[in-house]
Amino acid sequence: MKTRAITVPNKLGIHARPAALIVRKASEYLSEVFISNGVDEVNAKSIMGVMTLAAAGGTTVKISAEGPDEEKALEGVCEVVESGFGEEML
Amino acid sequence: MREEYPAPPVFSIQDMVFHAGDMLGLRCLTGSLGLEKPLASPEVSRPGLCLTGYTHKFLSNKIQIFGETEITMLEAMDTDARRRALANVFAFPVVCSVVSKGLSPPEELLEVSRKSGSALFLSPRDTTPLINDITGFLREVFAPRKAIHGSLVDVFGEGILCVGRSAIGKSEAVLGLLERGHRLIADDMVSVRRNGDILVGSGDPTTRYYMELRGLGFVNVPELFGIGAVKERQQIDLLVRLVDADRMGEMDRSGLETMTDDILGLKVPLVEIPVLPGRNVTVLLEVAAMLNIRKKNTGSSWSEQLNKELLEKLQQRRGPKEPP
Repeated sequence: MKTRAITVPNKLGIHARPAALIVRKASEYLSEVFISNGVDEVNAKSIMGVMTLAAAGGTTVKISAEGPDEEKALEGVCEVVESGFGEEML
Repeated sequence: MREEYPAPPVFSIQDMVFHAGDMLGLRCLTGSLGLEKPLASPEVSRPGLCLTGYTHKFLSNKIQIFGETEITMLEAMDTDARRRALANVFAFPVVCSVVSKGLSPPEELLEVSRKSGSALFLSPRDTTPLINDITGFLREVFAPRKAIHGSLVDVFGEGILCVGRSAIGKSEAVLGLLERGHRLIADDMVSVRRNGDILVGSGDPTTRYYMELRGLGFVNVPELFGIGAVKERQQIDLLVRLVDADRMGEMDRSGLETMTDDILGLKVPLVEIPVLPGRNVTVLLEVAAMLNIRKKNTGSSWSEQLNKELLEKLQQRRGPKEPP
């Protein structure tokens, strides 16, 4: 299991479009990928789950991956979040 | 009667008489003369001004309608003046003429029509409704059209044109819709016609209402499901493309991305539904129709509504970090 904490860098936070990008990325890997906002942990391959997190811009989320390609999965999903989803940054 | 027109530009006066002669009340005074001439436009022309000698921009390639104005004007003239007036018009290659309102054409009109090889018709119909019916009929004839490989179904009143590669399960999905009380316009091959800014689909008169189901052969839909399960024509409101499941990875999951496709120069809303074992495509098509109705009625989708609520929540929760 690999875990990393990361700040949501875009202004609007993880709304539907960023959630869709996270889900698409996470679905590329065999590993289970989870995102947590410190209260709830959700499956990163579920758009409903990721939207339920309501991770606002500037808050910290914890991403973890577990499985045969966990390092790559963690790296890939973190990159998507760090990129700010191509949106206006905080 | 509407589907089997020869494609323009070979639509002749004879074709018009054959398909719409009864509706328009046309009676031909010139025998078979000039009936082979092709019609070039769905518009008609009133030759009144041309009769007075103003021939600039006279549209001789359109059907000339001699209404009460033209006929009473001609009647008020003496024979020579009448001949001269008509010569102004028939100096052009007039495609054909119609005298409306049951008026009797002056002898000279018949004469000059015969001489110039141009057909002359009578109609008992009043001029304005006659013109409306001629242009309405010819607009359909000249409407841009295209045959599309797909199935057209009326789902809750929405015309859903379902497309996708061969054997992806279009007919099976449509069969499910019919079983749930929706109506078939055409399966497999839809003739789409552009009518102003709407698209109207219909089937081939022979094969429509039949469906081919692999393993079972052809079924006759109105006999199987009742006459209420079929419909002659339907406006196309939504294009649904069934796609293979391996395309699922590239798809937008937020539901916010709206797609359109171009049919005969019009943009049609498009959704793509991945087909997977266990996915009930019939029900998904029904939901697609309802989504489209909701979007038309309220201007937004449920995806947009949900995201709006989420964005409000995110705004309240935004972290302390400020822009540099």
